[in-house]
Amino acid sequence: MNATTRRIFPYLMLLLILTALGWAVSFGTLPKADFTFNNGTEIKTVDPAKATGSPEGRIINALFEGLLRNLPEKEATDPHQVIPLEPTTGGVAESYQVSADGTVYTFQLRSSARWSNGDPMTAHDFVWSWQRMLHPETGSEYSYQLHYVVNAKKYNMAEVQVGDRVEIELKDRRDPLQAFPRGTLKRGLLKAIEKPKGSSPDDAEEADSREEWIYRVEVKPTSNGKVSWDAAGTLKTFSQQPTGTTVDHSCHHVLIDFDSNVEIRAINDQTLVIKLNNPTPYFKQLLAFYPLYPVNRECVEKYGAPNWTKPENIVTNGPYRLEFRRIRDRLRLTRNPHYWDVKNVSLETIDALAITSYTTSLNMYINGQLDWSPTMPNTIMDLLRKRDDFVSAPFMAIYFYRINVERPPLDKKLVRRALNLAINKQLICDQITAAGQQPARSFVPPQLQGYTGQQCGAHDVARARQLLAAAGYPNGKGFPKVQILYNTSDSHQEIAEFIQQEWKENLGIDIELRNLEWATFLDTLNQGDYSVSRSGWIGDYPDPNTFLDMFVTDGPNNQTNWSNSTYDELIEAAKSEPDSTRRMETLQQAEGILMSELPILPIYFYVSTNLVSPRVKGFSGNIQDVHPLHILRVE
Amino acid sequence: MSRFLLRRLGWMILTIWVVYTVSFFLMRVVPGGPFDSEKVVAEAIKRNIEARYQLDRPLVEQYFTHLWHTVQLDFGPSYKLEDYTVNEVLAQGFPISASLGIFAMVFAITLGVTAGLVSAVARDSFYDFSFMVMATLGIAVPNFVLASLAIVLLVFNWQIFPAAGWGELRQVVLPALCLGAPFAGYIARLTRTGMLEVLGLDYIRTAYAKGLSHQRVVLRHGLRGALLPVVSYLGPATAGILTGSLVLEQIFALPGMGSHFIEAATQRDYTLAMGVVLVYTFLLFVMNTLVDISYGVIDPRVEVE
Repeated sequence: MNATTRRIFPYLMLLLILTALGWAVSFGTLPKADFTFNNGTEIKTVDPAKATGSPEGRIINALFEGLLRNLPEKEATDPHQVIPLEPTTGGVAESYQVSADGTVYTFQLRSSARWSNGDPMTAHDFVWSWQRMLHPETGSEYSYQLHYVVNAKKYNMAEVQVGDRVEIELKDRRDPLQAFPRGTLKRGLLKAIEKPKGSSPDDAEEADSREEWIYRVEVKPTSNGKVSWDAAGTLKTFSQQPTGTTVDHSCHHVLIDFDSNVEIRAINDQTLVIKLNNPTPYFKQLLAFYPLYPVNRECVEKYGAPNWTKPENIVTNGPYRLEFRRIRDRLRLTRNPHYWDVKNVSLETIDALAITSYTTSLNMYINGQLDWSPTMPNTIMDLLRKRDDFVSAPFMAIYFYRINVERPPLDKKLVRRALNLAINKQLICDQITAAGQQPARSFVPPQLQGYTGQQCGAHDVARARQLLAAAGYPNGKGFPKVQILYNTSDSHQEIAEFIQQEWKENLGIDIELRNLEWATFLDTLNQGDYSVSRSGWIGDYPDPNTFLDMFVTDGPNNQTNWSNSTYDELIEAAKSEPDSTRRMETLQQAEGILMSELPILPIYFYVSTNLVSPRVKGFSGNIQDVHPLHILRVE
Repeated sequence: MSRFLLRRLGWMILTIWVVYTVSFFLMRVVPGGPFDSEKVVAEAIKRNIEARYQLDRPLVEQYFTHLWHTVQLDFGPSYKLEDYTVNEVLAQGFPISASLGIFAMVFAITLGVTAGLVSAVARDSFYDFSFMVMATLGIAVPNFVLASLAIVLLVFNWQIFPAAGWGELRQVVLPALCLGAPFAGYIARLTRTGMLEVLGLDYIRTAYAKGLSHQRVVLRHGLRGALLPVVSYLGPATAGILTGSLVLEQIFALPGMGSHFIEAATQRDYTLAMGVVLVYTFLLFVMNTLVDISYGVIDPRVEVE
């Protein structure tokens, strides 16, 4: 190292540090938005078909618009008012008719509805968007919301049978990893499926061997995009991954033909007809729920996923456009000048922040950096509740404990009922959650219209002791150690400790607590490796079905190993019941069974908690805790 | 010198590969996957989602496929931020953490060296005593406690700074102070000790004997020797700043690498977590190498090879 280098080195370092500092100081200026709120977390995606969760819902509700729109029945004058949200024709559809039997929906689209690039919206946009959502490769978690449509489930689950009209996508896509735009499509009648020898009827293995199946299809001639189904076709063989035998074409998928099977039809540019399997009274709610919002075909096919969601590429149809996104910081929405009702959209720019820490969110709200914070620390809920700007309403969500009914002694109904009776749920609501939650004796929240929840027993220690004794454990003698599983969180822990103490004092049984970090917790619950587990459920739409159909035998969200054939039949019967009163009665019977068998212990019904700045107008409470941004104003 | 760098490069590649391999398998051994959610998805749908990310392939195949992409600096799509690739997330997060880190580091060095220097020169004085108490406190108090205290005082009491967020200079100050404080304390102590030791050496006495002013002796001749331990501390300090920023980025809602790392780990976003781990590894290695080189430049006794 020579002396010159050594001499200039300190100056070099100083220069380096100053340059670095200079770079670090250079901040672009960002004009403040008209309205800033904390969205709670960075959203997974802005793609309606792939999003789940309420933070995603808030953004997609602003960016996109479905056939119908959930709006408050009347304008709110005071944020503390509870005003029910109704699916209205404030969306892309101008009007609609439902057939007398409740299964055929005909929508007339607004001629003024446009995409943010100025193109008119048509009924074909919905057909294509929903086909994309149902396409197996899209992997949409909410695709079951469309399973009410005739044949939609079959398409989604890639079920095909001999005799079906099928569509086959050849392996000539522009990009093999992008399902849209699709490769060449062949359509025809499925004549036979050849499965490899020795394939087992087991579902999982069948799914594995599926790729080797050979499909014999009579491919029908096509002219001008129209398939002549009645014309004679040519017999061809297809396979996803041909092994050994040669086939005419290897293909991505063999699915039932969407256009001729799935009952989502664009009669013309303005008219969309949807046929359902059963009258589904809450289908309107689903149309106003963000997963069924349309996406722009041209944009998706041009850029592919995920690039079509970039602010510079995305084309939307809602009241707002996506201005920019800064990951885990904020995304900015600006008013969409092409929106059909833009004159009634008051806020020009909205910032949605992605602050995960409840305390930080509260700090920023108090400091005036946020106009609305839906999250706040639970620990000081009793203080926050007294504030004027604390806005709360009943929320269609329940906090409950799942019980693994295969684990003795929890397999005994009497034991489960005793456990339920021994908990003072009122105390949990008053002292632990403290935001006005209601103790739960039913599984379906009480606010759903036309439905009366069936209740399980109320807090009664003496009766609990009797039941436990009748089950063979007088004063808890001989009762094996049972574990309560919960995901790591202060309030879950407090509740678990409280219940542990209740069961110890009232029933004389020993309970262990086990907390796990979220992802591990979910995995453990999924594996059924638990005795009693904390759980929560938020309804997708305001109807008892979203709560009750969880517990059908082997339902993916059942997870309690509980199975009751009468219950399954009732839930199934309610699905096809045309009369709404009788449908509700059938569901009530089902809940009656659930509440007497108690594979779950209802604990409390949630309330929504929001801190809303007094300068915000048009905010009101509702049981969905959904607050459309485009109807808000600020003073 | 070039042999030294070449050898370092070799070691770095090896280290990164080992870190990659261990992280890859450790992440997947931990229960829970990126596509588990409280609302359980039908098995057929989950299969489709996993197939899209090739998670249905054998683990070893996944390892080599992902390794091959990683070598080409393509970390793949983020599993939990579906609209972004990991590269895009890192490209947005890194400048924020870097900016925060630079502020914290410059603050730590400026304050630390000044305080250490004053303490050493005015040994056993009131200044010496109070600086050293502050330094000890700075080292001892965890940064999240310091952050809470700073928020109470400087955000709510005196309303000087915003509570959190990113986008303007005012918003970096608090997190950078809280992040830099323990390092400032440590650097102050190192400087003081180094200075006291150097001031007793022969060449300092020679400098005084030649008639140089006190100020010139201390700043020109003393400081250079006294800073040696500080320079060698900068490597570990960088590591400390990186890990310290995990907590502070959460408290101050800064969308930097730390936030991404924590979220990726809890959400099982394998690709993003891997991306952040590799960037951290690379950064630490480079910083340590730079410190070693500069050590050789400052101290004539050290030959870098």
